[in-house]
Amino acid sequence: MKKIALTVNGKLRHLEVPDSELLVETLRERLGLRGTKPSCLEGECGACTVLYNGGNVLSCLILTADADGASIVTIEGLSADGSLDPLQQSFVDAGAVQCGFCTPGMVLASRALLAGNPAPTDEEIARGLDGNLCRCTGYVKIIEAVRLAAERTRRE
Amino acid sequence: MNKRTVSPVGKSVARIDAPAKVTGEAAYVFDMNLSGQLVGKMLRSPHPHAKILKVDTSRAEQLEGVRAVITAADTPKVKFGSNEYFFPYTVDQLPLEDEKVRYIGDEVAAVAAVDEETAERALSLIDVSYEILPAVFDAVEAMKPGAPRIHAAMNNIGVMMPVRFGDADKALKESDYVREDVFVLPSAAHCALEPHVSVGQYERTTRRITLWTSTQAPFKVREALAKTLKMEQADIRVIKLNVGGGFGGKLEMLPMDFAACLLSRKAGGLPVKIACAREEEFSFTRRKHPMIYKLKSGVKKDGTLMGITGEVIADGGAYCSYGPTVVAAAIMRIFMVYRIQHIKLMGFRVYTNNPVSGAIRGFGGVQSGFAVESHMDLLARGIGMDPIEFRLKNATDPDIVTVNKLVISSNGLKECIQRAADVSAWKEKFGKRREARDGVARGIGVGIAADVMGSKMYKAHESAGTIIKVEEDGSVYVFTGAADTGQGSDTALAQIAAHELGVAYERIRLKAADTEITPFDTGSFASRVTFISGNATKNAAGDVKRQILEVVARELKLESEALDIRDEQVLRRSDNSPVISFDKAIQLCYSFNYGHLLIGRGYYNPKTTPIDFRTGEGNVSGSYGFEAQVAEVEVDTRTGQVKVLKMWDVHDIGYPINPQSVHGQIEGSIMMGIGYTLFEDLRFQEGRVMNPSFSKYRIPRSVDKVEIESIFVETNDPQGPFGAKGMGEASLLPTAAAIANAIHDAVGVRIRELPITPEKVLKAMRERDGKLTMKNEQ
Repeated sequence: MKKIALTVNGKLRHLEVPDSELLVETLRERLGLRGTKPSCLEGECGACTVLYNGGNVLSCLILTADADGASIVTIEGLSADGSLDPLQQSFVDAGAVQCGFCTPGMVLASRALLAGNPAPTDEEIARGLDGNLCRCTGYVKIIEAVRLAAERTRRE
Repeated sequence: MNKRTVSPVGKSVARIDAPAKVTGEAAYVFDMNLSGQLVGKMLRSPHPHAKILKVDTSRAEQLEGVRAVITAADTPKVKFGSNEYFFPYTVDQLPLEDEKVRYIGDEVAAVAAVDEETAERALSLIDVSYEILPAVFDAVEAMKPGAPRIHAAMNNIGVMMPVRFGDADKALKESDYVREDVFVLPSAAHCALEPHVSVGQYERTTRRITLWTSTQAPFKVREALAKTLKMEQADIRVIKLNVGGGFGGKLEMLPMDFAACLLSRKAGGLPVKIACAREEEFSFTRRKHPMIYKLKSGVKKDGTLMGITGEVIADGGAYCSYGPTVVAAAIMRIFMVYRIQHIKLMGFRVYTNNPVSGAIRGFGGVQSGFAVESHMDLLARGIGMDPIEFRLKNATDPDIVTVNKLVISSNGLKECIQRAADVSAWKEKFGKRREARDGVARGIGVGIAADVMGSKMYKAHESAGTIIKVEEDGSVYVFTGAADTGQGSDTALAQIAAHELGVAYERIRLKAADTEITPFDTGSFASRVTFISGNATKNAAGDVKRQILEVVARELKLESEALDIRDEQVLRRSDNSPVISFDKAIQLCYSFNYGHLLIGRGYYNPKTTPIDFRTGEGNVSGSYGFEAQVAEVEVDTRTGQVKVLKMWDVHDIGYPINPQSVHGQIEGSIMMGIGYTLFEDLRFQEGRVMNPSFSKYRIPRSVDKVEIESIFVETNDPQGPFGAKGMGEASLLPTAAAIANAIHDAVGVRIRELPITPEKVLKAMRERDGKLTMKNEQ
């Protein structure tokens, strides 16, 4: 067991976790943040993507005990009051959501991508989302959504 | 209500479930965590074929933290299947096997424990003695006399099915050009991102069971549970939440659904959750039928398709599942696409000791699409005819009855073909042997397809029902049994309900797929939901609208037939002049004098005829959808690497209820098709899946995205709700052939085996060059 402090969606959490607990387990089971989806638990699908100190990581590959002091943002952290943030709104508007199981990871990976590159080309978006699998959309509308979000942010 | 989208049919309104999905709020069975919930696990056979001599669970039962252990001895030992209406003899799988296991993964026992670790340990403490039997893994070998017998039947041919019309042998003799081709199709995995997962809960006082499961067909699951548990359907409630993708893999009850219910009963009513790990998902759920597809056909010099003969051998794995209808679909789709009078095809579905082949998006049509459309291209080339012209000459027409009695009304196939050729600049590109740059050749290819919108699978009817209630405050609730698994059918049904009732889309609250609350619906398969459940919903909305108008007419002393509701207004049909607002009309219905509770009902059962599986005769679907696809590719002649540059998809979708969703289905289908064409290949060795992970079984990634131009042909189907047709699968069917045909155009070689890997392309090019050199030397 290890005592750690984590900032999750802006709130500081003091936790005592077994050494072997995965970050995805802490988020889902301990903190009830079930928007983070462990679809493969092997680091292959991207559905459990969260933001870790601003960058996108796979929460199934991180031990919570190693995350002491980190700041984590999950999908629930993007829209605190239930209203959608511009990136989420773009996913809705572009029709980038089908079954929705990859969506939280996809949105967070896109958020990290746009933070590093506010005006990405379609190629850059595709490369940035390479670690996030989607079986429904063929990625066409997901890439559109990210492009749309970038355009909207620039216009503001 | 802030936003008001009136007359929403035909508009790309935001999906009804999208906001909850982008915020992570959307609930999936995967996320469920009920109070006292136990972890369930399945004990699976490690052998491909073995007799079960003894199962001893005593050590597992004594383990601290174990709440229930079940084996076949705890079950009524009733078999289940998925094609019981047409093929009752294919009901062949026990939820927990009793005497024999037939594939690696066959379920033998199950446990429920307080946590994952304890459940895993309990599994390891169950002692099963097996007597290993000889096994067979190759479908052709399994058909031979003397092959290990997998079921009690005389041989391993689970289903044998002919299609036979006219005199195909004579037609081939009268042809100017005859050719034979053999195509080989591998298995594939569904790869829904939400794995199979169920939570079962038994209620001791009522002796009823609730199962929450990630399913495409809750009513089918209820029926199979009732049968295998020997319970009344009324005592079983199946609930679907959001489903993280299905693609045909979640169309039936699996042993884990059964086990979650039975374990809960044995554990005194504590809920039991069973979820497949990704490896189990690849290895032990269902998979695509590998097929060997042989075709021998003849054409006249002018391109007239004279006759088709052939044989299909499908590796069915250990049990039948949806296999019989998959094989039927693989040999019968051709009638929707080509005008053909003389045909003789034989389909075999063969038992092997491989994992179970079942339904997967395309339902046999991906296999037949590759074989038939590659073959047609070769026939056209054989007589020196342009493949587009060849298809235009032989494609089906509107308002026909085919030789096997399909009743085709609207049919935009020829327009699809012509427009696909036009938008892709086919004439300028085809047969030009274009070199893009040094060592890279460019080519173009076409494939065409048609699909059903509904098909009877497990019941005599395939009705869907909808109930709509309009509350006193004007809110509209739609209750549908239809199971949206991500394709967007809930949104389409909400649009249909709002449009027909004449109110804004935002008024609709939709409650779906709970067998105790919503009307019956066979499920999400065969591209049926928009067409069948859509019609049911339109009928229900029409019913409740009629009730509202009758009250308004009585109050205002008008004829109700002279009134309509549109854009939230009751108006006169004659001149569209407003009478009263929708809200006022609802207040009137609920006023002192009327007290008319507004409840509408509707159902729809498509007009079909039974299929005679001795010939292939019968009208399987209420209507038919069509499409043409053109692929342009680049082939690197040094590496064999194929790059798809662009896909054009021209699709007769009838009318698009939600254009954005329709494009989304087409794009998703094409990318899935590209995966099957170029790299997806579920591999087996001695019955074991060799690549059960996303790192070893590659599915399309964002970097694989290709440019897709998706174009609608609107034929406004007379049967479809607002003219709409089903279209969730057709775009997957011609993709592989369109790409293979484009490769042929680029480098002059024909690949007859999927996936089309660089190695296969290089090998074919070397063989071709070898032949050319030999010719030159001679």
